[in-house]
Amino acid sequence: MTAASPLLAIRGLRAAYGKIEALKGVDIEINSGEIVALIGANGAGKSTLMMTIFGRPRARAGQILYDGKDITTVPTHEIAHLRIAQSPEGRRIFPRMSVAENLRMGADVTDSTDAERDSTLERVFALFPRLKERFAQRGGTLSGGEQQMLAIGRALMSRPRLLLLDEPSLGLAPLIARQIFDAIRTLNRQDGLTVLIVEQNANHALKLAHRGYVMVNGLITLAGSGAELLQRPEIRAAYLEGGRHT
Amino acid sequence: MTALSHEITQTSRAAGIPFILKRAFFNALVALVLFSLMVGVRTEAGPDGQLTYWPRFVELASLVGIVFGGSVVIELLRQWIGPSGAERLVPPALHSGLSFLGRYLAPALLIFTLLVPVIFYDQRYILDLAILVLTYVMLGWGLNVVVGLAGLLDLGYVAFYAVGAYSYALLATNFGWSFWICLPLAGILAAFWGVLLGFPVLRLRGDYLAIVTLAFGEIIRLVLINWQSLTGGPNGVPGIPRPTLFGIPLTNTDDGLAALLGIEFSPTHRIVFLFYLILALALLTNWVTIRLRRLPIGRAWEALREDEVACRALGINTTTTKLTAFATGAMFGGFAGAFFATRQGFISPESFTFQESALVLAIVVLGGMGSQLGVALAALTMIGGFELFRGLETYRMLVFGWAMVLIMIWRPRGLIGHRAPTVYLKKSQAISSDLVKEGHG
Repeated sequence: MTAASPLLAIRGLRAAYGKIEALKGVDIEINSGEIVALIGANGAGKSTLMMTIFGRPRARAGQILYDGKDITTVPTHEIAHLRIAQSPEGRRIFPRMSVAENLRMGADVTDSTDAERDSTLERVFALFPRLKERFAQRGGTLSGGEQQMLAIGRALMSRPRLLLLDEPSLGLAPLIARQIFDAIRTLNRQDGLTVLIVEQNANHALKLAHRGYVMVNGLITLAGSGAELLQRPEIRAAYLEGGRHT
Repeated sequence: MTALSHEITQTSRAAGIPFILKRAFFNALVALVLFSLMVGVRTEAGPDGQLTYWPRFVELASLVGIVFGGSVVIELLRQWIGPSGAERLVPPALHSGLSFLGRYLAPALLIFTLLVPVIFYDQRYILDLAILVLTYVMLGWGLNVVVGLAGLLDLGYVAFYAVGAYSYALLATNFGWSFWICLPLAGILAAFWGVLLGFPVLRLRGDYLAIVTLAFGEIIRLVLINWQSLTGGPNGVPGIPRPTLFGIPLTNTDDGLAALLGIEFSPTHRIVFLFYLILALALLTNWVTIRLRRLPIGRAWEALREDEVACRALGINTTTTKLTAFATGAMFGGFAGAFFATRQGFISPESFTFQESALVLAIVVLGGMGSQLGVALAALTMIGGFELFRGLETYRMLVFGWAMVLIMIWRPRGLIGHRAPTVYLKKSQAISSDLVKEGHG
């Protein structure tokens, strides 16, 4: 892989639920080692984009290139083997399974050795010490913030190169949301993890991200560096109005 | 803490009396409406064929009175037992006693089961009943893989039981193959049918899946009835050979087991052999299930039950995961079916009705989905209980229904709702307390 080619490149991607077209030709590039934020209002197609990368729904047109390979038609369960991990919207942890089992589920699909798995587990615990404390507890008994940590930890267990995070701050108290964002920043700086983060919390996400995309009605309308986008008056008006100004 | 919760129950108890009366009054009113026509008016054909009727006020009044009194008693009992969240009120001594019981119940039961033929050697009835119970334990454990672990509601489990039974019966009667060759074949054929059922229902969940599996069970039964040339139709398959102990028949002949061992022949030998056979099969089912739960495939089943979308995001192939769950459950059903055929010596479609599916499902649900011990206990109670109340034929279903309602009220997750985790930390490490302070989650 040359330094110039992006880790994930999405070109002219279209996807639809039945007759309703959710993505109308999306172009996005994510370079290795970057945090990229995708912001937009409800129903803009942000989550659909995340899911289309994983092949559900399938793309109707366009290309998804990961590490130079076309993964547009790769089956969903095989995409996770390519070291792309996803922390889905609404966390979706396994409530009746223990924290340990939830984390283990993330590692089960990879071919990692026991030693690799243990070191990844230690890394997850270093990032989220609370998960270690709650190790034997059932996932459903965790607080919202802990569940989000668990969802991210579970995604990390597959030792991904690219992490897709769908609304990690959804429903969390501001303080907890900040902890989550801090952990993402740490992962990016220390482990060199590439992150695509979908957020409604535009303020936080754009501050965290190197670059950002703004999505409206299934189309990318704006792109730029995080700081740049934060300064744009139309962004401030559309996504930061009433938000937390810090 | 204890004082506080005590206080809370006190207040809720004190506030109760008008509430209890109101509730009892309402129940009595409903009873009055229901019974006024059912009991309050007696109709009979008169001498000339015309309808004569007369009111029965006394009976009606006493029934309504019973309902009123019963409601008061039930409400009082309910308040005495306390709110459902009051588990803390269990005294510590009782609690530790229960956990002690929980730890040693399974081994104790197993040892007792192993000794059953020794203890009850002369009581043929009890041995037969034990074999029946163990058959249902095995069926329950098999269905537990599908319903309890993978969360796929299967109302047609009896189909695999039937496939296993007919596989053995037909292979043995047509080709004269021995039980030990046919047993794995019956399992494989049942698993094959499990996959066959699995394919069309891959996209279905919950109610829709239940309907399709229900239909599948009926289809298999109807095919068995109507495919006369192969299955003998409603007449069934007679003369199914008895199992042998690795080629040694358990008969009163010169090459029989009794003659070889130089002991006197007794028909009980065969019953005891059958008992240990089904016990071994059931324990095999249990052992495989326990092992599978610790493997990625077993975890994937449980994860599938919890959240299918998350499973896909983690790279689990939901298709193969579902199909293996169906196939594994069906295989054990097939084993049990082959055993059933060899025990009975005769099978017919009548043995494989929906009622069997419902019974096995009830065992799994009442026992606690996913709990191996719970399923075994539920099978023992349900099948054993059924037999105990055989004398009270009329009231049997009533008691059965009551037991179900009571369990669902007090133990909505089944007798044993606890689920043991399968992953542990290798070594425990101390964590700095400032990292795990309360109030940050």
